[in-house]
Amino acid sequence: MKRKGDSTDIQTGTASQMRRAPLWKRVWNEKVLYLILLPTMLYFIFFKVLPIINMRLAFYSFNARGPWRFSGLHYFEMIFSSPAFFNILKNTLIISFMKYILLFPFFLIFAIMLTQVRSWGFRKYVQVISYLPHFLSWVVIAGIWIDALSIQGGVNELLGLFGIEAHDFMTDRSVIRWILMICEGWRSIGWDSIIYYTAIISISPSLFEAADMDGANTFQKIWHVVLPALITPAVTMFILNLGFFLSAGFDQVLNFSNTAVESTIDILDTYIYRIGIQGGQYSLATAVSLIKGVVGMILVLATHLVSKRLTGEGVW
Amino acid sequence: MLVRGRKFSIGQILLVILLFALTMTMLIPLLNILAKSLSSPAGSMEMSGLDIIPHDLDFTNYRIVFSHPILVPALINSVIITVVGTAINMILTVTAAYVLTRPRLALKRPIMVFLIIMMLFDPGTVPEYLVVQNLGLMGSKWSVILVTAVNVYYLIIMMRYFESVPKSIVEAAEIDGAGHLKSMTSVYIPLAKSGIATITMFYAVVRWNEYFKASIYLTEKSTDTVLQVVLRQFVVLGDVVSILGQQNVFDYNTLARVDYAALKGATIVVAIVPILILYPFVLKFYTKDVMGGGIKE
Repeated sequence: MKRKGDSTDIQTGTASQMRRAPLWKRVWNEKVLYLILLPTMLYFIFFKVLPIINMRLAFYSFNARGPWRFSGLHYFEMIFSSPAFFNILKNTLIISFMKYILLFPFFLIFAIMLTQVRSWGFRKYVQVISYLPHFLSWVVIAGIWIDALSIQGGVNELLGLFGIEAHDFMTDRSVIRWILMICEGWRSIGWDSIIYYTAIISISPSLFEAADMDGANTFQKIWHVVLPALITPAVTMFILNLGFFLSAGFDQVLNFSNTAVESTIDILDTYIYRIGIQGGQYSLATAVSLIKGVVGMILVLATHLVSKRLTGEGVW
Repeated sequence: MLVRGRKFSIGQILLVILLFALTMTMLIPLLNILAKSLSSPAGSMEMSGLDIIPHDLDFTNYRIVFSHPILVPALINSVIITVVGTAINMILTVTAAYVLTRPRLALKRPIMVFLIIMMLFDPGTVPEYLVVQNLGLMGSKWSVILVTAVNVYYLIIMMRYFESVPKSIVEAAEIDGAGHLKSMTSVYIPLAKSGIATITMFYAVVRWNEYFKASIYLTEKSTDTVLQVVLRQFVVLGDVVSILGQQNVFDYNTLARVDYAALKGATIVVAIVPILILYPFVLKFYTKDVMGGGIKE
């Protein structure tokens, strides 16, 4: 979004005349535009604002036939006194940490590696193949990975060549979070690196020439020329990712879960789905959603503001 | 440029080997599934997880998939939801992007703040579920189509495309007396067509891949559901009865000896093929703009 002062609306004479007119009059003059926008706004009112109003259910007991009965903070007390909730919160934070922090450098490394490849044909090939998993549904990806990681699957086949005994990965609680992280990386490494790749290839060649004059080697060039260019996109992506921190990738977890590993990868969203939609405890599930929504929103806004103050870079 | 020196240095060779290995982790599982699904049941059973050539080419798996009493309606539902849903996505996104890129729009700032809050704040599954229930949309395809009718993120990308339309052309059209509808259809849409193609592809892919909303809203009859939900039932949850049907489990076991892994492969292939058809277009439009630096994410 534009900041105050640099927007286009003060550039022309007619615009400054418009500015002096009262707001209702300016809106009335543009009524056709608002009419065109109406269907989209109706969508947001029906399917976003109404659900947000429905979130008051967190403070009420649900009743399908009559009015909801006020219950105060009852459901929040229930949540904060249950050890299960804290286990789920811990799982969510660990999985998000692995996906959004531990994995983060690999996207940068991949983009840098790709720009180092001299052959354009090979670059193109890597791009075409590595973007593909991003477009597959989590159901399909889970199908492929469950198959590949099974006892007779490709991964065990490959490990067998090195004399490593076959292992049932999907039901092993000690590795399942790593599988979630690696799979997330596998799915996103190509697509999520595009932003860094473009940042690198749009660096001015004169910077590299200057570095060459100074006798810099490849690693020095990466450190002094490439990394500074990656700060802006990296900060933006990092802040956007924080918005997903309490979600931790519901679709992936739901599809990779099974009874053997459920307790290690049960996250807030799978919990909400299980108690809310499957268990019918609407108020309790809504209370968890409300906590998740508010904390998630604060996380993004706070990081945005902090980052804007420190580096001048924000999401908008 | 960043890289100097010879094409065949040790560093280059290592780099190529590493990146090639990475792409193999993406290609081999897909080709393996395709090969298994195209093999006869006996042939696919003796295949390893790394084979990418079909053993004993045969279409039994696809015959079962395309004559299935639940899979076939699910496939049709998926196509309907993808086509109608994407059309609605585009109508709303394009009109909204047009309005929100008008210079001097009085309420632009509050509307953008509202949209960004809508993007960042997720009301959660149950509050949305209750709205769908109250609107009487349960079991109707409209539930899935309408709950994801506009994606704010795509709307913002669409706005960037519209903003890059040259002002001079727009002004020329305005002098000719073009109204909003005329200016949208004859100036903006033709000039931003690569943007429109890109966003259409994105929406279509998301529509085709949608399973969660369908799995909670389209539950009244078993034939209401979509392909991804049936696929999950079978491939992820390993529910053989649901895919073959109670009666057929016995028939196939005694008659044809179906290899379930290969049959799962065939259903996965059916779910991937439409994506593969759209994929070249996604690459053509999106990457061209991104690489050209036209659109920054």
